[in-house]
Amino acid sequence: MAEIQITINGQRIAAPAGSTVLDAAGVAGIDIPTLCHHPALNDWGACRMCLVEIERQRTLQPACTFPATDGMVVHTESEKVVAARKFVLELLFSERNHYCMYCQMSGDCELQDLAYRYGLTEWPYPRPTTPLPVDATRQYIVMDHNRCILCRRCVRACAELAANHTLAVRERGIHSMITADLNVPLGESSCIECGTCLQVCPTGAIMDVKGAYRGRESEVERTKSTCLGCSIGCGIEVVSRANHLVRIEGDWDAEVNAGLLCVVGRFEPLYDERKRVTEPLVRRRRNGALEPTEWGEALDLVTKRLTDDGLAALITSRATNETMSQFGKLFRSLGAETVAAVGSLAPAMGAEGKLVDLHEADIIIVVGADLKEDYQVAGAFVRRAVDRGARLALVADTDNGLAPYAAWHVGFDEIGDVVGIAEQASQPVVVCAADLPAEARAALAPLAGKASFIGLSSGSNSRGAVGAGLALSSGEDVNGARVLYVLAEDDALNIQRNGAEFMVAQASYVGPLTDMADVVLPAPIWAEQSGSVTNTEGRVQSVQAVLASPETVWPTSKVLEALAGQLNLTL
Amino acid sequence: MAKIKVASDWLESCAGCHMSLLDIDERILELLKHVEFHATPITDFKHPPEEGVDVGILSGAVANTHQLETAKRMRERCKILIAMGDCATFGGICTMLNFFDKEEALRRGYIETESTVDGKIPRSEELARPLEKVLAVDEVVSVDVHLPGCPPSADAIWYVLTELLAGRMPVLEGENLKYD
Repeated sequence: MAEIQITINGQRIAAPAGSTVLDAAGVAGIDIPTLCHHPALNDWGACRMCLVEIERQRTLQPACTFPATDGMVVHTESEKVVAARKFVLELLFSERNHYCMYCQMSGDCELQDLAYRYGLTEWPYPRPTTPLPVDATRQYIVMDHNRCILCRRCVRACAELAANHTLAVRERGIHSMITADLNVPLGESSCIECGTCLQVCPTGAIMDVKGAYRGRESEVERTKSTCLGCSIGCGIEVVSRANHLVRIEGDWDAEVNAGLLCVVGRFEPLYDERKRVTEPLVRRRRNGALEPTEWGEALDLVTKRLTDDGLAALITSRATNETMSQFGKLFRSLGAETVAAVGSLAPAMGAEGKLVDLHEADIIIVVGADLKEDYQVAGAFVRRAVDRGARLALVADTDNGLAPYAAWHVGFDEIGDVVGIAEQASQPVVVCAADLPAEARAALAPLAGKASFIGLSSGSNSRGAVGAGLALSSGEDVNGARVLYVLAEDDALNIQRNGAEFMVAQASYVGPLTDMADVVLPAPIWAEQSGSVTNTEGRVQSVQAVLASPETVWPTSKVLEALAGQLNLTL
Repeated sequence: MAKIKVASDWLESCAGCHMSLLDIDERILELLKHVEFHATPITDFKHPPEEGVDVGILSGAVANTHQLETAKRMRERCKILIAMGDCATFGGICTMLNFFDKEEALRRGYIETESTVDGKIPRSEELARPLEKVLAVDEVVSVDVHLPGCPPSADAIWYVLTELLAGRMPVLEGENLKYD
């Protein structure tokens, strides 16, 4: 790779050609303060904090956007530069209400950190007295324009990462405001509440309702894990404190999603209102209520029935590979007629692709999935590709949220046309949902040698289930089972009892499933478990426990091992 | 040499700043070699004496008529007045009240809170009345030293006191300059 030689603060540095001055400084470990710069976003030069002195330039230049050239001489901490940066900070602080004391970001704010760094001790300019709007029309996030420094990180994140293009800036100068669509409240806009804007905002302008004020960086713990919201398996960082969940963030270093999440993975898990099952429960009379009991009695009642004929065992596809494996061993040893996870795989067709293939695709076919509703991160990748110039073909018989992005939108009966177009492409990618009709699979067959196929399995860890030797089931085909064992953990499985004489539910939450069961065994939730899961690409990733379960809730493995032990089986 | 006389009081304050002051831990023994605490919120003297003291330390914002009187009295009777903490320096968290109408706030506090039954807003003549706006101390009297922080760290407080004892005006920077 071509290199250029540049001198920064008297130090000679070799940097790759095409670097900005900021990049080059980074190579040498020279710190230049920034606010609007973000490693995951294109540089903008909005905040002017990174101004540096470059010899032979008429005026100070922003390091983040100025291209470094061979022989350039830069000074990043000259008197002129420091004075300019302090001036920029003073103006930023005077422009809106940057009053730290009751801001949720105080202590972790990038603007505040710079004020400390440059010794800001007073407001030299009169501050505006008109309060700006606070948009609290969305469920999970609040946008407080009083805290905004107009760095546009949120606008760029919404455009470049989520590719949803909801946020923009309206008006100019002092009247500039971050705006949603054509100036509508966020709650009425095209916002899909992925929260990427929240994650990049340097100040307290965008905050999340659940996590606000619940802990500064110095007070919380961060644990990397994998989201169980769908089979994409995005890398997450779970922020917790004193055995409580504070916030879920996207892991910027994760290979699958590189920091992007969706509303399902980022926000919904924190708003679970279901009541927790904290101890074993047993229904002693046919239509009686469930009553608490000891683990001993509960396990006895279960093991007595597990040796009956007509045993069917179902497990949630949110369970880890390890749990799937133990579950499989136990119920196969018991000779159960059905030993299955609730989920389905997308058809295996041709070269198994990875989601990142979407970044290089020129034609993308999405079959049978609405990527605005489900697998939203894949949807973002598709939108990014279209922004880049790729063309999208949607095959769906119903309305589809990505329709406005599609060059072609056909029903299943016209799938052949779309396949024909893809055959002409140089890097076609096919994204298909699980449960594709056979005709559709057949129609896609000609692309087998050519396109990258990304199947989206239904159920977070369905591939892990198959890997552990389990069958896959829709959950609706266990008719005729006499004894039904459902390992649901925190999944709200839609299973019918269908006349089973005896039913056990190993579940985290009270719900329709536990209402049907004769014995309920408490189970940990997603945040209380460690193990591995296999995403839809076949990538094995780890899930890390963040919280401790309540004492009377046994780890799933302990329960399965106890049952096996009582039946003289080994797992 | 006579010890420096110090008085302290708290206004619309959570007392966190005074707790932080006490966090100087055993350094207080060193401090007591040079200073004599007169009136403080935890001693029996409620106000500095008429002849005045050398240093006054005030925490908390000025939110009602009694606090306004206290701030003025402290200014009169202290040669050097220190506004300690974000509330005294800037108004702090207390200024959130300025977004609301005072009557509305009193109603919420004394009548509408979820656990209150048959509430009533106390209006006795003897009670302090809320001011129009919650103010920083330097909006009502002149202040010699501002020591922001919520609370300022014990080290920052120690630094300010020792600088003053050495006859220098403290300059806050680095780890001592915080408003969070």
